[in-house]
Amino acid sequence: MSSSQIVHVIDDDVAVRQSMAFLLSTAGYAVRVHESAIAFLQALPDSEDGCVVTDIRMPGMDGLELQGHLKSMKVGLPVIVITGHGDIALAVQAMKAGAIDFIEKPFDDDVLLAAIRSALARNLHNVEREARFAEIGRRLQSLSDRERDVLEGLVAGKPNKIIAHDLGISARTVEVYRANVMTKMRADSLSDLVRMAILSGSSP
Amino acid sequence: MEQMHSPMPQDLKGLADALEAAEARLQSILQTVPDAMIIIDEQGRIESLSTTAERLFGYVKSEVVGRKVDLFMSTPHREQHDSYLKRYLSTGERRIIGIGRVVTGRRKDGTTFPMHLTVGELQLADRHYFTGFIRDLTDQQLTESRLKELQSEVTHMSRFMALGEMASTLAHEINQPLTAIANYLKGCRRLLERMAGEQALVLRDAVSKAADQALRAGDIIRRLREFVARGESERRIESLPKLIEDASTLALIGAKENAVTVSFRLDPAADLVLADRIQIQQVLVNLIRNAIEVMSEGGQRRQLDIATVANGGDLVEVSVSDTGAGIAPEVAAQLFQPFVTTKRKGMGLGLSICRTIIEAHGGKIWVDTPPGGGTIFRFTLRAANEEDRSLVE
Repeated sequence: MSSSQIVHVIDDDVAVRQSMAFLLSTAGYAVRVHESAIAFLQALPDSEDGCVVTDIRMPGMDGLELQGHLKSMKVGLPVIVITGHGDIALAVQAMKAGAIDFIEKPFDDDVLLAAIRSALARNLHNVEREARFAEIGRRLQSLSDRERDVLEGLVAGKPNKIIAHDLGISARTVEVYRANVMTKMRADSLSDLVRMAILSGSSP
Repeated sequence: MEQMHSPMPQDLKGLADALEAAEARLQSILQTVPDAMIIIDEQGRIESLSTTAERLFGYVKSEVVGRKVDLFMSTPHREQHDSYLKRYLSTGERRIIGIGRVVTGRRKDGTTFPMHLTVGELQLADRHYFTGFIRDLTDQQLTESRLKELQSEVTHMSRFMALGEMASTLAHEINQPLTAIANYLKGCRRLLERMAGEQALVLRDAVSKAADQALRAGDIIRRLREFVARGESERRIESLPKLIEDASTLALIGAKENAVTVSFRLDPAADLVLADRIQIQQVLVNLIRNAIEVMSEGGQRRQLDIATVANGGDLVEVSVSDTGAGIAPEVAAQLFQPFVTTKRKGMGLGLSICRTIIEAHGGKIWVDTPPGGGTIFRFTLRAANEEDRSLVE
């Protein structure tokens, strides 16, 4: 990889950002850590080679606001959003605002590294990224119409009961569909499922 | 009653008429007054009583007029009433007259009820009459005790909510160090991958496993938090025997050292269930570990039995039984409440969380205390049936 490609890690928790720097450096990346979104903006590099890995919930400027600033400043650095638990709704917002991926803490290194690889290779022809999308697309294809309806409800953040009401079926049936969707999509968690659905562009 | 106070005989006929009129007025009052009213003489004999009083105590007037009023009372006032009257008449010291108090009334059928009693006094020439006004407090006390019950439920609930809050705050705080731990370990593994030698290989394996455990802890917290926040869990169609096998592998660590023998009786018909794997394992681990703990406190026979039964319907039942000291019935009744524990060091949260999980799964959890001793915990899960499987395609 090019030496000018820098991964900017923004997290208000010092242990998290240092451990992330350690992990990424062992994987061969040049890393710069920032304790806040503002600190990052102040040190914003001229070169747009690289990517940003930012926590979404931070005191001061949060990850979403940072995205807005980067957009208005016409800085094209790809952003990967890291979330704590229960921030799925926020993560979905971030994805809609242009983040290229979101990852839940604590995460598997392979997941983070894959996201960074595809962020850095964003403008290049990215075989890995396309293969990933194709795979998600295949899994989506395997869903029945009803399962797809349930998936849409889940991506919209609706609880089972509401989905059941919307579709005019019992909550118990929704649960079964939901279980099937998770299995077919090979999702580890609800956030993983939502992430795949959004990445593939199938979100409502 | 005015007439009674003026006994000057003007005209005997007129007096008799006046008496009759007074009596009729008194009777109409007694029939319509909404309170229970009893009039007694100074010996405690019933002179008259209101219709409400008849109804309240379950007697008809003719049964009680002339009898001692203590038949409306329960021990100890029943036995003491005569002496109360004597004391008042000799000393004039008022203990209830004009004061009123809550006492226990006794109905014809022997049942008792709380009542508020006020006594008024009437003096005619040198004779005393007493009028008792009675309010039945049954409803009021019921309301009060229901209120107390509700209050304690709310207290429990708010504790439980506080627990949910605590869980989610804790989850967020713990995630940060977990993330750092996983990052450092995964980084170490990457470095070790580039090192040669057998020790590097062993280290790499160990470090990798440690990192996986950090991620697993994160997974448990995530599910717990989602569950607390939304009351929903990630349910899949799971194999029950596999769930039990995985959970017991984890929970039975140390069982042999404690000389506990384990047996499984799994019903082949109890196969697929709709469950959150991690949560149900949590329940199983909890129950199995409790059982081992109880049995390791003493006793010759240490037999742990894990069984499943398909009841043919919508549910399958899982039971974990031990041959420990058993549970006192009064404890058993509230065993699943938060902060109730029989352990010296317990928080009393394990079984309450188990109940929350099982109930969220549409099942029930309860405890049996068989006459032969020991304890059996049972819970039900929803079976995934043919219909569910047909929804898959």
